[in-house]
Amino acid sequence: MADKVIIVDYGMGNMWSVFSALRFLGCSPVISSDADQVAAADTLILPGVGSFRKAMEALEMHGLDQALREAVLVRKRKILGICLGMQLFAEYGQEDGDHRGLGFISGSVERFARDELGALKVPHVGFNHVRSSPDSVLFNGIASPSDFYFVHSYRLLNSGLPGKPGLCHYGIEFLSAYEYENIFATQFHPEKSQTNGLKLLNNFLAA
Amino acid sequence: MLSRNFRLQRVGNLEWLQRNYNFSHIAFFIDELIVLDVTRGVRDTLAFCETLKSLAAGCFVPITAGGGVRTIDHARQLLRSGADKIAVNTPLFERPEFVRELVAEFGQQCIVGSVDLKRNREGGYQIFIESGSQSLGDEPASALSWLTQEWVGEVYLNSIDQDGTGQGYDLAMLNQLPSRCSVPVILAGGVGNGTHLAKGFADPRVDAVATAHLFNFVGNGLECARESLVKQGASLAVWPTLVDLGLKPNG
Repeated sequence: MADKVIIVDYGMGNMWSVFSALRFLGCSPVISSDADQVAAADTLILPGVGSFRKAMEALEMHGLDQALREAVLVRKRKILGICLGMQLFAEYGQEDGDHRGLGFISGSVERFARDELGALKVPHVGFNHVRSSPDSVLFNGIASPSDFYFVHSYRLLNSGLPGKPGLCHYGIEFLSAYEYENIFATQFHPEKSQTNGLKLLNNFLAA
Repeated sequence: MLSRNFRLQRVGNLEWLQRNYNFSHIAFFIDELIVLDVTRGVRDTLAFCETLKSLAAGCFVPITAGGGVRTIDHARQLLRSGADKIAVNTPLFERPEFVRELVAEFGQQCIVGSVDLKRNREGGYQIFIESGSQSLGDEPASALSWLTQEWVGEVYLNSIDQDGTGQGYDLAMLNQLPSRCSVPVILAGGVGNGTHLAKGFADPRVDAVATAHLFNFVGNGLECARESLVKQGASLAVWPTLVDLGLKPNG
């Protein structure tokens, strides 16, 4: 927990809420958009709200995509992607035209399809149940299922991934959390999920 | 923070709220928070954003902020101060193109349409804009036709008559909604106790119930009201206490 925690700021999303939740847990994170600082970080958090394409362009513009690949794939530092941050981990995103992602999770981010939703509305907004994998690090000490706060229109599916999935059902079963080696991700917002979310963030910091 | 006893009443700032109502504790029993700048006249956006930031620092739920949002920059300032969603009221009717701009910039899920309704003498309803100071000529049913389209993420429906009375929601107001309303409805105005919350929640047209009247929920009032809703079968999110999870503030 003494490691330096960097929240990556690329102009997309609610840095303050993530920052405040970490502060509440006794951690002193740094908000940074500096590629060198990100590449050298021990622990990274990639939040984000908005469109996949705009977010990737913003990361690329600041050289943050390469910095993140360096820290995560080469230096094997732990990272938590939140909401759009998780989606950016994928290989591709279809929002706003196809765009390449960071490639930490194999798969493509696609919009909830009409035929899988029936009468359900897009975006998927509100608290929903997440079923975690039994030996999950992120969900350690959190009951399964537990409620977490979602707000998204695009999702990843759990198909042929090597790591531990957390699953949520909204018309279709989708990937609501993921962990594999040093890569951690949640489609929901732990910083907006009351005590369940605080516990999950605390687990990530302790991982 | 303002309460209303048939007129707006100044009650205190965030520190006051914390000191008198232990807000950081209460905040663990709500699903979402809505914070509105109801200043009449010139608003101090910076000061409001600072208050929002302090509020967001200890409240780990989605926060909707609003009141006088007329520019994309103003919305962005609120979002950077801890808000997750932006509430708009007057522009829904007077400047729909601005609401469209907000949706294009931040996404549909980010925009909450706030609508104030008031009963008229004929037993019908009128929409009021500009902090309830001006009535809208159009019939509510036609003025609210956008609720059948996927335009904003949610609608916050407030009864001006009931607001601050503690006498319960105006459920008849829901008849003003179009029959094929595709936008989740947050009902507001009039809650005085947990039974009122349950009555609102029991209406199939209502997705969420709101109260601004914390005075009616002193001590563990809100916690009990929430428990009672769950016992009555309301589908509410559940989370353990910090102590249950072995967490304490500041590690």
